[in-house]
Amino acid sequence: MSPTIRPFGILRDYLQGEKEAHVSAGQTVRQALVSVGIPPEVVALVLVNDQPQEKDYLLEEGDQVKILAVVGGG
Amino acid sequence: MYGYGGQILRINLSNGQVTKEPTPPDVAREFVGGRGFGIYFLTKEVPPKADPLGEQNKLIISSGPFSGLLIPGAGKCDWTTKAPLTGGYASASMGGHFTAEMKYAGLDSIILEGISPKPVYLLIDDNKIELRDASHLWGKGSIAVEKMLKDQYGEEFQVAAIGPGGENCVSFAHINHDYGRQAGRGGVGAVMGAKKVKAIVLRGTQSISVADPEGYRKAGMELFKACKEAEMLKEWSSYGTTIVVSWCDEVGALPTRNFQAGSFEDGKNLYGPVMRQKIVITDKGCFGCPSPCGKYSRVQRYDTYVEGPEYETIGMIGSNLGLSSIEDVAHANYLCDEWGIDTISAGGVIAWAMECYEKGIFTKADTDGLELKFGNAEAVFKLIEKIAKKEGIGALLAEGVKRAAQKVGKGSEKWAIHVKGMEQSAYATHNATAMLLAYMTCDVGAHHNRAWAITYDLQVGRERVAPEKVARVIWLQHFRPMFDVLGGCRLQWVELGIDRNLYLPALEAITGVHRTWEDLELVGERIWNLARLYWMREIDGFDRSWDLPAPRFYEEPPASGATKGQITRFEDVQKLLDMYYEQRGWTPQGHPTPQTLERLGLQSFVN
Repeated sequence: MSPTIRPFGILRDYLQGEKEAHVSAGQTVRQALVSVGIPPEVVALVLVNDQPQEKDYLLEEGDQVKILAVVGGG
Repeated sequence: MYGYGGQILRINLSNGQVTKEPTPPDVAREFVGGRGFGIYFLTKEVPPKADPLGEQNKLIISSGPFSGLLIPGAGKCDWTTKAPLTGGYASASMGGHFTAEMKYAGLDSIILEGISPKPVYLLIDDNKIELRDASHLWGKGSIAVEKMLKDQYGEEFQVAAIGPGGENCVSFAHINHDYGRQAGRGGVGAVMGAKKVKAIVLRGTQSISVADPEGYRKAGMELFKACKEAEMLKEWSSYGTTIVVSWCDEVGALPTRNFQAGSFEDGKNLYGPVMRQKIVITDKGCFGCPSPCGKYSRVQRYDTYVEGPEYETIGMIGSNLGLSSIEDVAHANYLCDEWGIDTISAGGVIAWAMECYEKGIFTKADTDGLELKFGNAEAVFKLIEKIAKKEGIGALLAEGVKRAAQKVGKGSEKWAIHVKGMEQSAYATHNATAMLLAYMTCDVGAHHNRAWAITYDLQVGRERVAPEKVARVIWLQHFRPMFDVLGGCRLQWVELGIDRNLYLPALEAITGVHRTWEDLELVGERIWNLARLYWMREIDGFDRSWDLPAPRFYEEPPASGATKGQITRFEDVQKLLDMYYEQRGWTPQGHPTPQTLERLGLQSFVN
C-alpha cells in the first residue's frame, strides 16, 4: 500500500477537502509534500507511524504520515 | 459584580497598611480585567516619571473574569508595573495556579505600594492578610523558597517568589511560581525586590458568583469538549512550544549566535522530539488546562530538575548562545529560574557579550577571566550567577543589553538586539516583515506573544510589505492579549484551533454582560493605545525612532542558513511603520491622534 499523508488543522486546506493523500514510496517526506501541493515550510511536525521524523525521512510502503502546521507559537 | 472577586487589595509596604476597596464597575466595563486593570491602575496611580525601583512605583497583579473558573487554561495572571528594563510599560503574563487562588480570596487585583523597611513576604489566607518577616528567605533561590513556603503552609497555598536576581534589582529579574512558571519580562521581579517583598503566599476558599450558573456550566463544558476533541491535542501536549524549534531552524527563524543567522548547524540536537526523548519526565499543566504544554525535565548530568525548556529558552539560551546540547540549555534554564532572571533577556544580553568577546571588544580582563565564546556552556552557567549577583561583568549585563551597549560603545550598539530596551525574543526576523513589525511595535518592547505573525509571513510572502500584513499584526495585537485580559490561556485557541466564538457564551454567562469579539477587540485597542500614551508620558521625546528594530535586521544579511543573504530594506522598515501608524489612527511620529483617543474613550488619560 502506498504511503499516505494526512494533514491536520489548517493544512487540510491544501487538500481541498480530502482527508488524506496517497503518495509514492521511495521519496522523502519533503518531496511528497511538494508533490501534493503542501509547502514544506508551513509544516512544523512530521509523524510517521506516530513517531516524529525529519522531512528528509525516506518513505516506505505502508507509511502513515501525519503533518501538523505551525499556527501560533509560544 | 458577577465573575469577579469583587475587591482590590492594597498593601502599603512602607507603613504596613492593608486596605481593600470594591473593584470599580466602570473599570471592569471599560478594561475587563487582567492586563486591562494593570494599565488602568498604572496610568492612574503611578505618578509620571516615577523611578521604577522607587517608592512611587507600584506592582499590580490582576486576575480576569475567567480566572479560577471552568474555562480551559483559566490560570493566567497579569503583572504590570513601570519597567526597570525599559523605563516604559511592563505587563508580564504568568500561568500556574496563583490567579485562581486570588479569585477564591475575593481579589481582582493586588497592588503593592511603597517599600518595606525590611525583607517581608505577603501572606494572604482568605481575609487574613499579613506581612511576615522574610529575613530567613532573603538570598535564597526562588524555587527553594517556593518549596520552603509550601512545606510550611501546605500544598494548597500558591507561592510566587523572586530569586537573588530580583533582590539585587537586575533589570530583567522575573517572578517564579509553580516551580517553573514565570512573570518573566521587563523586570517585574526587580520591582518586587526593590519593595523588599520576597514572596507572596496565597490561598482562597471563597466561591465566585456567576450570572447564569447553568449557562456557565454548559458553555464551559463545550469549551473543554472542543479541546478534548481537537485533532492536535495529543501532539501539541507531547511537545508544547518546542514543536516549533525544527520549523524555525528550517525557515531561518531560529536565533543563532546573537541573531547573526536564523539556522543553527547543531539545531537538530535541540528539537522537541530529541528533548522529549532525552530529558522530559512528564507533562505539566496550569490551572484547568486540558492540553498541558509544560514539560518537566531532569538533567542527569547536572542532577537538576526544571520545567522546560520552552521554545523561547531553547532559542535564546541554546542556538543564540551556540549551545548544542539540550541538557546544557535545560541546566541554564534551571539556573535562571533559581537565580530569578528572565531566560529571554539573559540569552539576549549574554549573546551580545559573546559577540563583543569574539570581536575583540571584550578580553578576559573584562569578563572576569571567562572565555566568552559562543558555545561555552560553563561560561553561560557562571554568567547567569554573576548577573543575578551583579558581580564583575554581571553588573554590566544586569543593566540589559541596551544600557550595557551604551556604556561599552565601540559600535556594540549595532548588535544589541532589542526594541525599546527589551531584548528581542526568539524569532530571527531578517526576512519576515510582519513578525519584524510585531516586534517593533509590541507594547512592552521586542516580545513575541502579542502578535505572532511569522507564519503569516510565510503564507503571504515573507518579504512583502503590504497593508494586509500590517492589518494582521494590529488584529493580533488586540486579539491575542485579550486572553491576558480575561485571565485565560490563548494556546487552546492558537494551537488546538478551537472556535473562538465558544468563549463568548461562557463570558456572558459568567459576567452577565453580552460582548462580541468586536467589543473585546475594541477593549484590546483601548489597552494598546493607553500603553502607548504611557510610553509617551514616561519617555521624553518618545517618537517613531523608538519603534525601530535592531540594525542587524536591515543591515546585516545572515552569512548562512535558510535566510542567507536576505534582509529587510530600511526603507521598507519605515514603510511598515507609516502604514501601521496610519491604520492605527496615529500621527507619523506614532502618537494617537485626538480623534483616535476620543473613539476609544481615552481623552481623560491625556494630561
